[in-house]
Amino acid sequence: MKSELRNELMGHGAEVVGFAGLQGHMSGELAHLDKAVSIGVDRRLNEDTLRLLVKLQKRTVRFLKSRGYRTLAIPPDSDRKKGTFISKLYSLFNHKMAATSAGLGWIGKNGLLISPDYGPRLSLSTVLTDAPLGPDAPMEHSLCGDCTLCMTYCPSQAITGAEWSRSSPFVELVKLEACKSHKATKRATDGKPNCGLCINICPYGRKSITEEHDGKKLRN
Amino acid sequence: MVTEEKKKELLAKLRTAVISYDEDTSKEAAQEALDVGMDANDAIFNGLVSGMVEVGKMFEAQEYFVPELLMCADALYAGLDILKPHVKQMDLGVKGSVVIGTVEGDVHDIGKNIVKMMFDVAGFTVYDLGRDVPLDKFVQEQLRTDSDLVCLSAMMTTTMTGMKKVIDDLRAKNPNVKIMIGGAPVSQDVADKYGADGYAKDATNALKDAINMIASLKKMKDEAETRKAK
Repeated sequence: MKSELRNELMGHGAEVVGFAGLQGHMSGELAHLDKAVSIGVDRRLNEDTLRLLVKLQKRTVRFLKSRGYRTLAIPPDSDRKKGTFISKLYSLFNHKMAATSAGLGWIGKNGLLISPDYGPRLSLSTVLTDAPLGPDAPMEHSLCGDCTLCMTYCPSQAITGAEWSRSSPFVELVKLEACKSHKATKRATDGKPNCGLCINICPYGRKSITEEHDGKKLRN
Repeated sequence: MVTEEKKKELLAKLRTAVISYDEDTSKEAAQEALDVGMDANDAIFNGLVSGMVEVGKMFEAQEYFVPELLMCADALYAGLDILKPHVKQMDLGVKGSVVIGTVEGDVHDIGKNIVKMMFDVAGFTVYDLGRDVPLDKFVQEQLRTDSDLVCLSAMMTTTMTGMKKVIDDLRAKNPNVKIMIGGAPVSQDVADKYGADGYAKDATNALKDAINMIASLKKMKDEAETRKAK
């Protein structure tokens, strides 16, 4: 069932698909949905990215439901419809938790999920389920090493340089206030709130110049 | 005219959509029901609501948990949003308006929202104050809207005590208003002690009690008016 689902999602535009076992880590309301399917797609941050993520998520839900399992789709962060009942529970679970638990990557110094192949250039969504999907090996440590590019280039010095590991997942990686205030200033000056330097600069998954010249798709 | 068979099929589809928390199917079936000219009331009560009643049972039997319950409610609303503009006349015998909210200090509003949904479905005019509502606000809003009913919700024993104050204030200003309370720490004992007219264990019961209360309230008003007329 696992490889069937993975193949189906990969065949419809997912870049990475991982399965996480979260037994004993879920808060009460979600305790019975302790497996997660973590789906990552190429982060281009346009309408299509969102549409693709939602599509893949619905596909996953259909796949699992048709086999008689329960699902709770946690929508992409940029598509959380306010005002629905279930949106109250979204905050109980985050996509990066699913992704690291499914071994898709680790949390980098920039506070983002870093995949060995795609770096921080993935957009994520998650489907929680009670289906017996054998978990992939979780990621235990950060593989950022000595690299501090994102720290150096961060215009608001928001990145602390602390390192994530599964045993200490709550260290402060990014000073949110600093990051937020920079975005606010940027929005005020040129109308574009997004900064994204810590994404662009990350050497993991960055396409080399030659590849760009080969006419391949440019990631960020 | 729509055939009985088609009607049955659509009602089942609406019902199943709610039970299997499938928003897309719920919308689709609601639209289809309108397209074939089915009565919107019928589609809501014998389709969507009948599904939600089943969900309530599954929740009680601990077959469904909070996430499923919430997703089912979302699926119900998805269909309801499409059907509601086409509802001609809710036939419940009574209609009323209700002020509802979670009391000050308390941000837990899932239960309140589900109770609100039942009022929405039944065609009540709902003034939803949201959560963490300052206690005075309930009284002001009741006076402003002249609602028949005020529903208070609290999830914590610490915030529950605020309900007593609201009830006392409401009674002082408007002795006729009916007050219902609900929430995890609330029981019939608490309702009696605080002087509430009703306490509801869950959303379905809340609605039933509310209809009864408003019916009796309307009756009282009518009687008072007939007396005056004489």
